[in-house]
Amino acid sequence: MAGLRIDPSDATPIWSQIEEGLRRLVASGALSPGAVVPSVRDLAKELRVNPATVVKAYQRLTDAGVLTVRRGDGTYVAEVPPAMSRTERARILREAASRYANLASTLGVAPEDAQEALRAAWRKGDKS
Amino acid sequence: MTEPIRIEGLTVRYGRSTACRDVSLRVALGSVYALLGRNGAGKSSLVRCLLGEQMPSAGRTLLFGDNAWTSRRAAMARIGVVPEEPDAPVGMTARELSDFCRRIYPRWDGAAVMARFQRFGVPPNSPFGRLSKGQKGEVMLALALGHAPEVLILDDPTLGLDVVARSALYDEIVGELADRGTTVFVTTHDLAGFEGIVTRVGILKEGKMILDEDMEALKARFRRIRYANHLTETRTAFGTELDAFHAVRVRVRGWGIEAIVANFDDATFESFRAIDGVDDASAEAMPLEEIFLALAGQEKGNGQ
Repeated sequence: MAGLRIDPSDATPIWSQIEEGLRRLVASGALSPGAVVPSVRDLAKELRVNPATVVKAYQRLTDAGVLTVRRGDGTYVAEVPPAMSRTERARILREAASRYANLASTLGVAPEDAQEALRAAWRKGDKS
Repeated sequence: MTEPIRIEGLTVRYGRSTACRDVSLRVALGSVYALLGRNGAGKSSLVRCLLGEQMPSAGRTLLFGDNAWTSRRAAMARIGVVPEEPDAPVGMTARELSDFCRRIYPRWDGAAVMARFQRFGVPPNSPFGRLSKGQKGEVMLALALGHAPEVLILDDPTLGLDVVARSALYDEIVGELADRGTTVFVTTHDLAGFEGIVTRVGILKEGKMILDEDMEALKARFRRIRYANHLTETRTAFGTELDAFHAVRVRVRGWGIEAIVANFDDATFESFRAIDGVDDASAEAMPLEEIFLALAGQEKGNGQ
């Protein structure tokens, strides 16, 4: 599936990488409401991962209302993807910020420079 | 429910040398267990005992709860095996081998086997002896799956396979897992290829199990930590900065120190970074292959 990349060597569990990746594709509109997502078998083969990990990711996304399963048909992006709760959004932002801050500090970058790099990336993201 | 595979206190001796010492492991239903070890670590002896081809010196191997040595025949109907050395009568074609197996296994699905030959690109009408090493391995895999086994045992299945053949092998295994939830036990050197598929990992070193753990937990606790150590100049403090970690291997590099730690967590790392004299610390997740090398490679030491 275009835009979904996972790294089996990463410390983040594979099901979590798939879950986050699909959430991102839905949030960015790359996967539109009602779009079909690959079968567990196809996605597992494509990513070369254990199908059970894909099942777990799909299950969690279905429970969260991001995906819906049509019995005997397949799995689709929900017509009305749920708005993310405020606490959930805050949690994701906090985790990503912590990763970025760690990276910047590892590189020996001053906080002000790291913030400027973030602003620049933001402006670039707005244009594209 | 009975585990498909259970090994209890397995010991295998050949004269004075010991190939396996008191090895125990369990393979849960539907899991993919990878047994890793360098050559001579005892993998082959373990697999022979598992398949009931060899009697253990002590301990036992159970297939679906039955002793593999005493009730081999019953278990084999539920198990598919891809041996390390592809072995079949050289004059028989792949098609003939499949027809032959049909007589042994009541549940034989000849059409599925022929479909696999086609997917793998194995010529069904060429004598086995004329096939390449990779094709022989593919014939073995196609046949091993012919009776829809509940458990698939693969002994170093990628040995001698090129990239394309390996890719076909992973596809086939992932397909089996998706379609039938087959339990898989694999010994392998190809850690990168199986990394995303494996659910549990065991490592044999000099006949002993030195690790037996779920893949997710293993990846979560191992990290490669790098830092500039400004404590070295003061000698007295040298080495103590890593005390909170279980460092499996520590190396002194030109730019600083590289340590592989087996008990990483964010809080411990934060306190580590705060140590005066530890600078530019970074922590990196490790591929299974590197974890294996750190544990089963050379003896642990400071690498100097």
